[in-house]
Amino acid sequence: MVHISDGVLSLPVLAAGWAVTGVLLAVALWWSKRQGEGWEAEEIPRLSVMTAAFFVASLVHVPVGPTSAHFLLNGLLGVTLGILAYPAIFIGVLLQAVLFQHGGITTIGINTANMGVAALLASAVFKGGCRLARGRREGREGRERSEGSEGSKGSEGSKGVAGIFGALAGGLAVFLAVVFTAVSLILSGGEEGTFTAVALALAVAHVPIILVETVVVGSVVVFLLKVKPELVGSLGEGKR
Amino acid sequence: MVEYPEIDLFSSLDSPIHRFDPRAKIVAFLCLIFSVVLVQDLRLAFAGLLGSLAFLAASRLPLRFVSQHIKWVSFFIVPFLLILPFTVKGDEIFRFYALKMTYEGLEYGVLVALRAYSAVVLVLPVVATTRFDLTIKALDRLKVPNMLVQMLMFSYRYIFVFVVEFQRTWRAMEARGFKLRTSPSLYALRTVGKALGTLFVRSYERGERVYQALRSRGYTGTRNPKTLVEFKMQARDYALAVLIVGFAVALHAVSFVFARGV
Repeated sequence: MVHISDGVLSLPVLAAGWAVTGVLLAVALWWSKRQGEGWEAEEIPRLSVMTAAFFVASLVHVPVGPTSAHFLLNGLLGVTLGILAYPAIFIGVLLQAVLFQHGGITTIGINTANMGVAALLASAVFKGGCRLARGRREGREGRERSEGSEGSKGSEGSKGVAGIFGALAGGLAVFLAVVFTAVSLILSGGEEGTFTAVALALAVAHVPIILVETVVVGSVVVFLLKVKPELVGSLGEGKR
Repeated sequence: MVEYPEIDLFSSLDSPIHRFDPRAKIVAFLCLIFSVVLVQDLRLAFAGLLGSLAFLAASRLPLRFVSQHIKWVSFFIVPFLLILPFTVKGDEIFRFYALKMTYEGLEYGVLVALRAYSAVVLVLPVVATTRFDLTIKALDRLKVPNMLVQMLMFSYRYIFVFVVEFQRTWRAMEARGFKLRTSPSLYALRTVGKALGTLFVRSYERGERVYQALRSRGYTGTRNPKTLVEFKMQARDYALAVLIVGFAVALHAVSFVFARGV
C-alpha cells in the first residue's frame, strides 16, 4: 500500500517524484557505464534475475491480524544491490503497476523515489553500522583482518552484528518509505491538509508491516551471510 | 500463496485496440492517463471515466479479468472515500455525533476515486492487449534506455520461473508442517526469511548460469535490433492515436474554456 495509485497526487508532487527518479536513474546508469566495457553484459542478467526474485518475494502475503501484508524488501535490496537497488526498485514498481495495477502509472516516479531513497539510506546505515562494529572489534582485538570487504563475513559474532544492522536496515527502509509516502500525500493535500487524515491512517496501518519486515530482513541477511556471503553488497560495489 | 502475473492472457483476442500499433498505443494512452489524472472538475472526471470505459469496452477484454485487475486500486481508494467526507471542511450534509460529513469532502473523495479508476481502466487496454514482450520491444523502439529495457525483459521472464520455484519451496515447508497463522510468531517469520533467502541464493546462482548461457550465444549487453516482429504505423493507427490524444487535450481544454467564460 506504499504504492500510491493514480489520481490522488497533485501535479507538483508527481513532477518532483519523476525528477528525483530521473536523476537517480541517470546516476545509476552513469555509474554502470563507468564500470567499463562488458560490464553491462555481465551485470544486467544477474541484476535482472535478482530483481525478479525480489519481485516474487514481494508477492508473498503474510497474515497480520485481520489483514494481510506483503513485503516491500526495499531495505534488503539496498543491502544487497547498493546503488543498483534504485533501477531494480524502478523496474519492480513499474512491473507492479503494469502487471497487477498495484500503484499507478503517473505515480511510478514518486513511488520509486519513496521506496528507492529509503532503500539507499538504509543501505548506508547497514554499511556504516557494519564498518563501525568491525572497527571497534579490530581495535579491541588489536589484529588486522586482511581478507573480506565487510566485517560481517567473519565469525559468528560479527554475523549477529550484521543481522542486527540488517534488521535495522529492513525496518528503517519500510519506515522511511511509509514516512515519505505520507509526506507526499500531505503535500498533495495543499494548505487545507485535505489528505492529512488519510496519510496518517495509512501510516498507522503500516506499523505491523514495519515490524514483520524488520524480523524477516534480519533473518534473510543472517541466512545470506552464512550461505552466500558475496550476495551482501557484492553487486553495486564496482569492479571485483 | 503467490499468483502469476498473467497480464497478457487475452492479448490474442481481436479488437481495434489489439490491432493498434504498440508504440502509438503506449504514447497515446499515456497522454490520456496523465490527462484524466489531473482533471480538477467532477463532471469532467466523470466524462473521463466514461471515455476510459469506452476504450476498455472497445478492447473487448473479459469483465472478470478487468474486475480482478482493479482490485488493488480499490484497496487504496476506499480509505479516501471513507475518510475525506469527514475531514474536509465545508457545508455540512449530516452529523452523526461528532462526525460531520461535508459536501466538499464527499465531492473531493468522489473526484479522487473517479480519477483513480479512469487511470486503471486505461492501463488495461495498453498492457493487456499486446503480448508483454512486444510491449517491451515497443518501449525499446520508443528510445527507453537500453539497460532498463533489458532489465525489464529479463526480470519479466524470470518472475515466472521464481513463482514456480517459490511455490515449490513453500509446498515443501507446508509438507513439513509449517503454517503461517494470523499472528505469526518470531520463529515463523524467521523461517519465512530463510525461505526467501533460499530464493535469493538460488536466483543469484541461476543469474550466473543465465549470464554464461547468454554469453556463449554471443550476448554482449548492447542493443540487439533483431526481432521477429517489426512495427509499422498505418493510417488507422494515426487516426486512433489522434482520437485518444484529442480526447486527452479536450478534457483540459474544456475546463480552460469554462474558466474563461465564468
